[in-house]
Amino acid sequence: MHNTLKAMIAALAVCTTAAFAAEPIKIGVSGPFTGGSAPMGVSMRDGVRLAAEEINKAGGVLGRQIKLIERDDEAKNERGVQVSQELINREQVVATLGFINTGVSLAGQRFYEQAKIPVINNVATGSIVTQQFLPPQFPDNYIFRSSANDSIQAEMIAEEAVDKRGFKKVAILADSTNYGQLGRDDLVKALARRGLKAVAEEKFNIGDVDMTAQLLRAKEAGAQVILTYGIGPELAHIANGMATLGWKVPMVGSWTLSMSNFIDNAGKNGNGARMPQTFIEVPANTPKRKAFVAAYHKAYHVDRIPSPVSAAQGYDSMYLMAAAIKQAGSTDGVKIREALESLKAPIAGVIKTYSHPYTHANHEAINKADVVMGEVKDGRVVYAYPADEKKAPK
Amino acid sequence: MDVLSQLVGSGVALGMIYAVIAFGYQLTFATSRTLNFGQGEALMLGALVGLSLVGHMSYWLILPLVLLFGAFQGIVVERLGVRPALKIKSEFGWIMSTIALGIIFKNLAENIWGHDQLSFPSPLPQHPFSFFGIRMLPMQVMVIGGALLIMLAVEIFNRRSIYGKAIVATSNDRDAAGLMGINTNLVITFSYALSSMTAAFAGVLVAPITLAGAEMGAVLGLKAFAVAIIGGLNSGIGAIVGGIMLGLAETLTAYYVSTGYKDVPGLVLLLIVLAIKPAGLFGKAAIKKV
Repeated sequence: MHNTLKAMIAALAVCTTAAFAAEPIKIGVSGPFTGGSAPMGVSMRDGVRLAAEEINKAGGVLGRQIKLIERDDEAKNERGVQVSQELINREQVVATLGFINTGVSLAGQRFYEQAKIPVINNVATGSIVTQQFLPPQFPDNYIFRSSANDSIQAEMIAEEAVDKRGFKKVAILADSTNYGQLGRDDLVKALARRGLKAVAEEKFNIGDVDMTAQLLRAKEAGAQVILTYGIGPELAHIANGMATLGWKVPMVGSWTLSMSNFIDNAGKNGNGARMPQTFIEVPANTPKRKAFVAAYHKAYHVDRIPSPVSAAQGYDSMYLMAAAIKQAGSTDGVKIREALESLKAPIAGVIKTYSHPYTHANHEAINKADVVMGEVKDGRVVYAYPADEKKAPK
Repeated sequence: MDVLSQLVGSGVALGMIYAVIAFGYQLTFATSRTLNFGQGEALMLGALVGLSLVGHMSYWLILPLVLLFGAFQGIVVERLGVRPALKIKSEFGWIMSTIALGIIFKNLAENIWGHDQLSFPSPLPQHPFSFFGIRMLPMQVMVIGGALLIMLAVEIFNRRSIYGKAIVATSNDRDAAGLMGINTNLVITFSYALSSMTAAFAGVLVAPITLAGAEMGAVLGLKAFAVAIIGGLNSGIGAIVGGIMLGLAETLTAYYVSTGYKDVPGLVLLLIVLAIKPAGLFGKAAIKKV
């Protein structure tokens, strides 16, 4: 009797340790799954899910499965703060992927910095997103990024409009969010480097349905091209408003011009709009990209990814984080950060193969060389310059 | 001058979108002294139901169906949200319940139609035309025409038909109308049906211009509310004038002052009206007897 009891207790103890060892690694996913930013948030989440499923199928990380804790931040700054606190304190995530909207990112990620939990921003592009917590005030920065930041994008937009196409009179139309206004600042700087000043700088709000005044101001100022920083629905109103006014100048803007809710709602008025892209869905020009696109289409029953860039960046961010946890051999935030900053093995992603993407000082995985110019053409984003298509990513 | 006329044209078109939604607020206020704060959501539901139907039949055929749906939705709001509050003579219960119903409708729409803004096929050609130097889409003209038409229809109904007279009587003095044998409860239900019907109509009318989506009601509903206050809660013409004033204030300020300040004059206008003529520009001041 006595022995049986002992054996039972021993068996129970073995069971609990085994259960503990197999406990999943919790990774937070924060993004807007509702509202005008939803195509980006949902595509990012689905990209992360796809990568997590593949990793789990291959045995997980450190012998444990990855469990995603997904939360809708509704693209609202205050909601982003709540989500961050919930993920850190209640769910006790090991790391977080996500943040689509620059404002939400700036508001929410301070909690991760305080808790020493690493974050990879896989879509938010505001230049200061990774610059919030720098030494000497903060010895270590826990904020990383796997998207093309606005300094890169604004430079490419100015390069396209001014250097390549020779426009001298440019107008800037930006929305009134942190994203739009910080992006506008980057555009102004990029133009200043070329000795230019925008002939018109106009603002609009999320939810605006009439852009006549903004467009007329740009038109009267003699603008030859419109540079945009906004999100899909309002960008569509700009393209449609131009058609109504019978005034057609090229649109060059941030990567959001590739959002499905711009392309669909602008229809043929959106044709020719150009934007920096880290990833273009069709034609997928590498085997890895082909496999990713096919897997995405199959898993989510679509024939077009709502926001291909977000999906690809989300997918890659999951692999970067998994590689860091593996290298750290632990789920401790400090160790994962150190591993991210010194990733040894190259990581094959959809956008590129990342070799030493981060250092202690550099938390940006994407460089200007990784970004190409895309163009809206009949409902899809294609390569604006055919040469980019042939150039396989490094 | 060319720019000014274009701005005025666009401002009027925008203002009429606000006006037709504002009109819905007035209809329920007239009979029951209550407002449906889910007016923007009624508009949104009308647009999305229309969008689901538009794949199966022509735009003109869906109009009666959307109107029917709107009327039904209005009855639901009145039965669930407003009648219980009126029964217990609660002064403010209906505010919370109509807001709550609006949120429920929005969540419902997000589950059915998703979170994205969807494009609504335009029944009229998409090519803008020029009218005295003002370039407009045929759809914008239809919004102006449609808004005027529905307000005219409601006014004629109220003035000429016996049912309309019952509405006017209830609006003038609910207790007296009740004593005269008018079923005022029914009249109030009917006014909600009519109100949501106009909102649903407005939804399918504006959706080809504004895009349709679960979020479309929020901003439009709020601006229309400002218009209803500016114009007066018991004046059909007030809704039109208020709408046009707000639309013009927005586009003119955006062009001549700054696009960053375009919403300010409309709100300043609202404050001025509330300070000087609280019943609205065209409203009759109500004397509340205690």
